This record gives sequence, structure tokens and C-alpha cells, in this order.
Amino acid sequence: MGPPDREQLTMRAKASRLLPVGIAAMLTTLVVVFYYPVGSVLSSAISAGGRLTLDPIVAVLGDPFYTGSAHSLVTAPASLPRRFAAWVNAGMPAVDFGLFGFTAYQALLSTIVSVAVGLPGAYLLARFEFPGREFLRSVTILPFVMPSILVAVGFLAMFGRSGVVNDLLATVGLGPIRLVFTLEIVILAHAFYNAPLVTRLVTAAWESVDTRSVETARTLGASPLRAFRDVTLPQLVPAILTASVLTFIFTFMSFPIVLALGGLQLATVEVWLFSRVQNLALVEAATLGAIETALSLGLIYVYLRFEATQISTHGKEHVRSRLPLFGDWRSISDPRRLGLFVYCLVAAVLFVGPILSLVIESLTTPDGAFTLDYYAFLFAQQASTAVGTIQPLAAITNSLLFGFGALVLAVPMGVLVSVVATHEGRGSRVAEALLTAPLAVSGIVLGLGMLRTLVFGITVFGHRLTVTGPIAIVAAHAIAAYPFVTRNVTPALSGIDDRLVDAARALGADRPTVLVDIELPLIAPALIAGAAFAFAISIGEFDSTVLLAEGVDSATMPVALERYTANRSLGPNLGPATAMGTVLLVVTTGSFMLIDRTGRRWER
Amino acid sequence: MTTTEPTIESTNSTEVEITNIGVDFGSVTALESISLSITDGEFFTLVGPSGCGKTTLLRSIAGLETPSHGRVSIGGRDVTTEPPEARNVGIVFQNYSLFPHLSVADNVAYGLQFHELSGERDPEGRVAELLELVDLPGFGDRKPTQLSGGQKQRVALARALAPEPDVLLLDEPLSALDARLRKKLRVQIKTIQRDLGITTVYVTHDQAEALAISDRIAVIKQGQIQQVDTPETVYRQPASRAVAEFIGNNNVFQGRVADDGRQLEIGGTLLPLPENHNRAPGTSLTVSIRPEALVVADSKQVDPAVLSATVETVEFLGDAYRVHCRWKNKSVLVTTAATTPPEGTVKLHFDPEDVHLL
Repeated sequence: MGPPDREQLTMRAKASRLLPVGIAAMLTTLVVVFYYPVGSVLSSAISAGGRLTLDPIVAVLGDPFYTGSAHSLVTAPASLPRRFAAWVNAGMPAVDFGLFGFTAYQALLSTIVSVAVGLPGAYLLARFEFPGREFLRSVTILPFVMPSILVAVGFLAMFGRSGVVNDLLATVGLGPIRLVFTLEIVILAHAFYNAPLVTRLVTAAWESVDTRSVETARTLGASPLRAFRDVTLPQLVPAILTASVLTFIFTFMSFPIVLALGGLQLATVEVWLFSRVQNLALVEAATLGAIETALSLGLIYVYLRFEATQISTHGKEHVRSRLPLFGDWRSISDPRRLGLFVYCLVAAVLFVGPILSLVIESLTTPDGAFTLDYYAFLFAQQASTAVGTIQPLAAITNSLLFGFGALVLAVPMGVLVSVVATHEGRGSRVAEALLTAPLAVSGIVLGLGMLRTLVFGITVFGHRLTVTGPIAIVAAHAIAAYPFVTRNVTPALSGIDDRLVDAARALGADRPTVLVDIELPLIAPALIAGAAFAFAISIGEFDSTVLLAEGVDSATMPVALERYTANRSLGPNLGPATAMGTVLLVVTTGSFMLIDRTGRRWER
Repeated sequence: MTTTEPTIESTNSTEVEITNIGVDFGSVTALESISLSITDGEFFTLVGPSGCGKTTLLRSIAGLETPSHGRVSIGGRDVTTEPPEARNVGIVFQNYSLFPHLSVADNVAYGLQFHELSGERDPEGRVAELLELVDLPGFGDRKPTQLSGGQKQRVALARALAPEPDVLLLDEPLSALDARLRKKLRVQIKTIQRDLGITTVYVTHDQAEALAISDRIAVIKQGQIQQVDTPETVYRQPASRAVAEFIGNNNVFQGRVADDGRQLEIGGTLLPLPENHNRAPGTSLTVSIRPEALVVADSKQVDPAVLSATVETVEFLGDAYRVHCRWKNKSVLVTTAATTPPEGTVKLHFDPEDVHLL
């Protein structure tokens, strides 16, 4: 490519003049709905009565409840060698690291289980050919857009005291098993979310391994296993590490799943933070939020470092031919295939089970008879005028309205970040960091911040300004959703060949025409997919919504679902919750697929 | 660089023997029954259009493809059912396929852990020796991403040669490189091959490349061997119309042997045939004649062996002109060393002995 001519330079100059305007607009938005609210929360962790202090943070870190044995690092650092010696003398017993320790521990276990469940899936999808492979590969995205509270209710419907599993066990005279409020079920539910993520990332890496390099290793004398260990595995490790760190981040900050399946006795930092807010211990909550944010920023930094080490090979033309999964009769005795069939059974139970159980439980009485009572109950709620009743229809309308609002806000925000991310230059790196930072802040902290500032009101030049709950909710949802737009659009945008633009301009199109005729159609599928994500994320968002939907008027479906789950006085058992959950399931998958389908029509 | 004639005739043992190999992919037949003998130390090239099965044949020698039937033996040992790691072959692919996570030295050294080196040589010394051989001394610590395409391919060559394979297999090794580099590197490959005396099977779709570096060539079309011979023979005496049209530029005409038995009749025009052609009068016949065998005649010169053709396009090649003519609605290609391009109607004559019967 030759040096850019003057015409191109002026075009770029124009484009670069427009970009700062966009960045400024978005940063202003972020400052109002993100940095200021979150900052106000974080500042109360480091200030008291208008002066800076570390007291709240020291108080939390020095509290054995939060940091366990590590609290003495803060309270009595001098005694550490003595304590360490005493610990060694006592035969190194298990150490308790408090709430933070437990949160990290469950995140670590969840990560290990997610990787263990996800890797065979990657092996299956990357190395075997079978009918429905492409479909299976594309549905691995679905768990990610499932509202987490919905998944939690699905797990309750499956593993709960009167759930599907116990019903089945009872028919053969076994059981019941108790899994609710155990660490196991929390970890399983985390695996439901994150194992498909591991599968996706590792499958992509596996498929990009140049088959010829594996063959070369074979001709140089390596056995199939050695070739895998020496050539394939090293190229998978970055993807496995990236997926692990992401899973750790997600499960470290996980909220509705732990809340619904673990309860307060298995509380993680995020759940405890929520309960502190409910108990109006706001300084303590703010301090927890500040520490959590610092930790997740650190983890995201680690993640970005890992992601950067991904080796990009351009061996696309030599995708290794996949083995037929269903070969001739001999393949039945192949241990690899046998293992994969067992894996498929386990995966079907883990991934389809909870969703199916949700639907089944919503239609059956505890005795196993068919019933529509729970749906009738939802209608009864709709007609009820009692104070504090969440009306199902209102919740559905709210969810759809907020989802649409979040989509409208999140798509331009996400696209802007993509444009910045694909731009060269130091300034855009800084802008990208500022624009990406919201990823590190939990929904609870954001919700709390918005509640304290925008919703309760702020005074600007003597005027008291308040923002209503719904607007705050839409803003919070947009902030949760736009990173997903960015993740979809950035690869499409950076994949556009600059020469296409040059070619179109040489053919006589002016720059705006090129944008409409060439670039937009090329990124449209990614844009639509991003929009579908934004919508689904908004519909499923629970963390900030549960705080911001203070009344019943702005409650969304996930909030209603949580109410029905937690408050059994509303109904005989889990029934109403599963009915509400089924409605949420239908609305979420339906709208996700609708947007995605409409998008595909564009593609053609 | 000096060029000496290859002396493969002196060592005459067969290194690679392929007997009735066939490869099917599902219902598609990639190779029909193919048999080949490749001599020890020979530079043997499989050439043909893309999709003709030449790469499948190479992969069958390496053990990367399982033949549906037939036999492969290397050095007298039947390896048909052996996995690639048991065959002691070295392979180089078009897109380098260097291990991206290993340094250049580790790439070259990779095969050494599975092989005993002849003599008292240590792996490190062997790696240095090979990097020297491919003209990349001191590149050991670099990563593949820090190399140019030509450098990557030379590392891939060094990696394949390091464990002293019995056979070197090259699958379009130069096709990803630009023309100038391609010519330079093919001389380097040829030199290394001759100096090491290693049996080499080379796959290419580029007939000029095949002619330039091979001891012998197998022309393959649609899974079948068309001709196996030296480059000179394949060029001068193509065995079939397919070979004649694939190897080099050529003019192919179809007609019948005239009643006198000494001329070829094409649409009413009689052209001379070589002596002793032993085709009966009246039989239909396909002939080829190379563009360089056609001479643009002086207008004054009168010669019976003449085509009267119209010049359509002229390409200047530097040392010659390539002239695209039209004669009896057929295109005729002529290469001429004249200093000015011919134009209008030209008379083309030729030595009847240059007419090749197909």
C-alpha cells in the first residue's frame, strides 16, 4: 500500500474531528450515569466527614469476618511471624480467609468445574463432524444471555426438595437428596453459565491451529499424543487461561445465582454487599464495593494481558478435517467416542435439565399431575390490588420497554467504543480504557451509586434534580449491555479491508456513501447480533434493577421472579416462580431470536 | 554457482516404490491406481493442475493419508500401514507451518528428540549446522513471527532435514512467495538437495518450476499419471494432448493423415509431417508444435511448410516477442527473437521434424 494521498488525509482528518465529539458525548453520559454515581459510592469508602481516611477500608480488611486469618495483616502486622510459626507448629490446619476468601474459593472451584465441563465440549466441536454440529456450536451462546435468576430458578426446579430429580428418585424409592443451599449447586449453576464460554473460546483456538503443523510434527517422529502435547496444546493454553480468568471474574462477582441457590449462609462479597445495602449499612457496603471493584480491575487487567498473548495464526485455509462422530460399527468401541457420548449425556442433564425442569414444574403439581394453576395464579396477581404486589403483565411491559431503551442507548455507545478500539494512537488507548472501565464495576455498586445520587436527587446550581427509577434502570442496563455490542462489532470493524473503501471511492462514491454502501452492510450482522445481546442482557439484568426498582411500578421480570422465589407465602410452592420463569424464558429467547433473525435477513 | 549434470544414473536403487495406490474421499476418487518408482537421490516432481491428486499422493507417501488400496514402500520397507512418525520422512508445506510458540532453533530441533543422529553429533550442533545450510546462521533465538516468508520457508526446510530423513517431501513450498524470491529459493533448494543427495518428492502446479529443478517429472491429471520422464522428454515429446497443453506453451492441431501418408490435412490445408511417422493414411491425428519451432518467414521467402496467419496480439518478453496469431479460426502462438514485432499477415514455417505426434 502506498502512502495515503491528500484526499484520504483530509477524509481522515474529518473522521478524526468527528470522533472526539462522539467520545466527548459518550464520556459525558458515562460521567453522569456511571463515573459520578460509582465515584460517590467509592468516595464514601475513603472519606468521612469531608476528609480523606482509610478507616472504613482498614475496618473491613481488619475484620476477621471479611478476611479471616488475614485480618491480622492489617490489625497486627508485627505479630505475623509469631502467628505463622504457631500455625506451622499446629500442623498447618485449614486457614479461613473470611468472606473474601470464600468468594475467591467458590470462584476458583467454579472455574475448575467450568473448564472441566467446557473442554470436552471444545474437543467435540473442534475435532468431530456430526449432524447439528454448527447448530450446537451456535447455541453455546445461549446460556450467556439467559437471565441468571432464571437459571437459578431452573436449578431449584431441577434439584430442589420437590424438584424433578427428587421426583424421579422417589419413583424408584430413593432420595430425597438435598442440594439447595449447598456449594455444589452454586458451582453447578456457575458451570451452566461459564462452561459454554470455555467451550466457545477453546473451540475457536483449536480450529485455528494449523493442521499442517500437527502433521509436520508427526512426520518428524511425534506420536499423535506427543503432537497434541507439543503442538496443539501450547496453542490452546492461552485460550484456556483467558476463559479461566473470565470465568473467575464472572463467578467472583456472581450475584443472583448465589443469592437464590446459596442464600446468606453461602454469601459471597456481592451477596453480602446487597444485604448491607438492604440493612442500610451504606458505608460498609460502599467500602466492600470499593475493594471489590479494585479486585475486579486487577483481574480484568490480568485478563487483558492474557488475551494479548493469544497467538494469532492465519492457518484458516487448513482447517483440520474433522473425524466423523458416528463412524462405522468399529467406532462404537472407540474409547474417545464412548467418552464423548457419556459427556454428551452429562452435558444434556446439566444444560437442558434446568430449563426443561423449569417448564415441567410450572405445569405439574407436587403430585405430578398436570396443572395450569400457577399461570392462573399469575393472572390473579395481575388482578390483585394489594400493596406490594408485582403485577406480571406490568413486569413484562417494563422489561420490554427498558430492554428497548437500553438497546437504543447501548448500540451507539458500543459502536463508538469499537471505533475507538480499532483506531490507532495513544489517545484512543486511554479513551478505550475509560470507556471499558464500567465492565469492572458490579451491578450492585452501580445501582447503589445511582440510587444515592441521581434517584435521591442532586443539587446543581441550587436546582434539585432527580431522575426517576425507570430512567436510571435504562441507563444502568445500557452500561451493562454496551460492552457486548463492542465485543461483537470490534472484530467486524477491524476486519474491513481498507482497500474496499479505497476501491469504492475510486469508483466515485463519496465518503458517506461508502459508509452506507460498503461498511454498514459489512458490520450489520455484527451490529444486529450486538443489539440482540444488549436486549437480552437488559431483560435479564437483576443486580442493579433490584435496587433501582424501589417500588413495584418499575419492577422487571427478573425482579418479579426473585420475589416469587423468595416469598413462598405468595403461593403453595415454587410453582408461581417457575410459571413466571417460563414466561421470562419465552420472552428472552423469543426476542433474542427475533432480533437475530431480522439481522440475518439483512445479511443476505 | 556451478551447475553440473545430476548423476542419478550411478546410484540406481529404488527409494520410494508406489504400487497401485488409490485414495478415495467418501465417494470421490482422488487417486486412481497409481504406480511410481522413485530412485535414491532423485529430485522427483509431481506436477499437475490443482485438484489433480498430486498432494494426495505426496501425503500418502508421508502417511498422512490412508490409501484405500495399494502399497507404499520406502527404502525397501513396506510402510503402507505405518503412521507418519515411523516413516522417517521430512515434509515442508506451502504455508511454512512453523510451530508458532517455539523459537527457530526449537522448531529445527523438534524432530531430533525422536531420532538418533548418525555419528557423534549433538542436537545443538545439528541445529546450527542446518541454519548454516539454509543461510540463516544466528537466527535460532527468533520467533517465527519475526521472520519473512522466505526465511520461514527455509526454517521449515531445515526442520524437515534435521533428523536426516530418508525422503524429503515438499508440498508447493514456494507458492506462497513472490516470483523473484521463488526463483531464488528454488535454486537454493536444488543445490541443497544435490549436495545432500537426498531423495526428494516435490509437488507443484507450476510447470516451469517443475521443468527447472527436476531430475524426473510425473504429470498428473484427474488422479491419473499422464507421463513420467525427464523434463527434456516431457517438454519435447509429450505423451498426450493433456501433457502437451499443460507443460509449456504449445500449439495443438487436429487433422487427418493425407492420402500420400506424408502430410497432415487440416481443413483443406496440407502441412508436412516428420519422416518415419508410421501413421496410416486417412487416420485422424493430433499434433503439437512448440511456439519457438515456428519461424516468422521473410515475405520474399517461399516455403511449402507454411501457415498464413494473422497477428492479433504481441507481447514483448525482453529477449523475444510472443505473438498471438489466428489461423483458420484457431489461435497459434509463436515466439520470435526478431528485433521488431511482426504485424499484419505473417507466414509461419517450421521444420517438419519439430512436429510432435500425439
